Amino acid sequence: MLSLHHAGLIDAPSLSPLHGEVTPGEVLAIVGPNGAGKTTLLTMLSGFRHSQLGPVTLDGWSLDAWTPEALAGRRALVAQFEPTGFDWPVRDLVVLSGDPGEAAVAEIMGQLELACLAERGVSSLSGGERQRVMVARALCQLAAARRDHDRDGGLLLLDEPTSALDLGQQQRMMRLLRRLAVERRMAVVCVLHDLNLAATYADRVWLMAAGKRVANGTPRQVLETDRLALTYRADLMALDREGESPWLALRP
Amino acid sequence: MDMSLPRAGVGGVSRRRLTRRFGVLGGLLLALLLGLAWAAASGSLGVSPVEFVAGEVTAMDWQVWWQLRLPRLLLGVLVGAMLAGSGAAMQGLFRNPLADPTLLGLASGAGLCVAVWVVLFPGSDVFGLYGQFVAGFLGALGVCLLVFGLARRRSGSGAVLTLLLAGLAINTLAGAGGGLLAFLASDEQLRQLSLWGMGSLAHSLWGATLVALVLVPPALIVLLRRARDLDLLQLGEATAHAAGLDGRRLRRRVVMATSLGVGTCVAVSGIIGFLGLLVPHCLRLWLGPGHRLLLPASMLGGALLLVVADSLARVLAMPAEMPVGLLTSLLGGPYFLYLLLRGRQGC
Repeated sequence: MLSLHHAGLIDAPSLSPLHGEVTPGEVLAIVGPNGAGKTTLLTMLSGFRHSQLGPVTLDGWSLDAWTPEALAGRRALVAQFEPTGFDWPVRDLVVLSGDPGEAAVAEIMGQLELACLAERGVSSLSGGERQRVMVARALCQLAAARRDHDRDGGLLLLDEPTSALDLGQQQRMMRLLRRLAVERRMAVVCVLHDLNLAATYADRVWLMAAGKRVANGTPRQVLETDRLALTYRADLMALDREGESPWLALRP
Repeated sequence: MDMSLPRAGVGGVSRRRLTRRFGVLGGLLLALLLGLAWAAASGSLGVSPVEFVAGEVTAMDWQVWWQLRLPRLLLGVLVGAMLAGSGAAMQGLFRNPLADPTLLGLASGAGLCVAVWVVLFPGSDVFGLYGQFVAGFLGALGVCLLVFGLARRRSGSGAVLTLLLAGLAINTLAGAGGGLLAFLASDEQLRQLSLWGMGSLAHSLWGATLVALVLVPPALIVLLRRARDLDLLQLGEATAHAAGLDGRRLRRRVVMATSLGVGTCVAVSGIIGFLGLLVPHCLRLWLGPGHRLLLPASMLGGALLLVVADSLARVLAMPAEMPVGLLTSLLGGPYFLYLLLRGRQGC
């Protein structure tokens, strides 16, 4: 379990102290306008940025106390796409940070519809295909650790994993993440721009604005039309759903 | 918390990849041994393996071969392996196929000190035959300490950029200093400096070779041990960190090993052009970008190329000899252009 005990950052970009938990089996969506601190928060959750206030702990231990290798067996990060320096073949790139064995790699590649791209170089792929490759790499990393230690769980951190995906791919990606959370007891933290995806697939939502978490709860509690219109300075209309958070659309 | 986790994925390298790795490295090693045998036999004082086995080598031949040829061959292997290996590592560290070992300013730092030695202390006999070597080594060491200080101090994604810019500044400064000294130099000193700048193994003596034998292999081993970390770094700093990489440690070790190893090489052999850029680049086109294969292959390939080029430099203009750096640049430049024009940049 990942816990924040008034964790935050003082340096720019700053992050006001946060308290909370991400538990195995749940999908947490982090949403908010540009520059709200979503990516900064995600890199702090992964331990790349050290909290300068209270600690961030994983399974009861401060992230700073873990060795990089041990931590890599428990959490993986999919950052927004960075060029990979050289042109890696997809089959090599997905096992770069952990090789769970041929069968498991094939299963993960199949889940992300990458099997036919295995021999291609990353530079020849479309943005959406690259995004799926990077998610497959993170899943291979966690699967390798799972195989070596025969345990489920793990923390998967994703920064806008659907930003370049088409509609169907978005749906399949979010369904896959949900399934991994439930079946593998993973904790999935996902920065999302699409609030309807957050409303549909997340168990909980953190709404960020100007380095602060301004709302925390179920999608229905957090994704209120008036609050979102104010936070995003957007003219929104809502399509009410029975017992669920409303669908949101932009007014022309 | 289980702190004894092994590095994920180490046990999962498939048999196919292992076979390929051994095949490629075995082939390169064999080629290097053949290249060495040819280099040992060629030129004005060659001793071929056949003569050696048949016992047809006179004591005089043997003495000359031992004193001149053997240190030269060893130095060729060490310098070639170091330049190409550190080229591959620097390209990995900077995530850019245009990086090479001279990027940090080591060669120009060494060049400046050699110029100071040659121009300002002409005829000085303090270090005997090793004057230029000592000056070059001190210059490279100075730059090495400066760069290492920078690599230690900075962290995060800006650190690599700082190194790059510092190298640029050092190169510019040393170039200006060298230019000033060239302005003051006599014609004979100018010739000496420009020959040094072309790079050559002709002055290899046992003393310099022994220094290289002590300093270069540890640097090569440090680089080889960082191969997986260099692979991870290709994912970007934040993702690589989440995959188990300690970026600061990687930067420190690669910069330290490169500074020490390349500094030594530049001191003993001057600036041998293109090797550090060309060998890893060509091998990457063939083998792919994974450093676990690319690094050792570059080292073997660099050693092979330099040993063969050095023998060619001896043989082509006999009894005189060309500076080998000139030859590697003359051969390497057009080949590099050909690769680019063929449109298979690949990286």
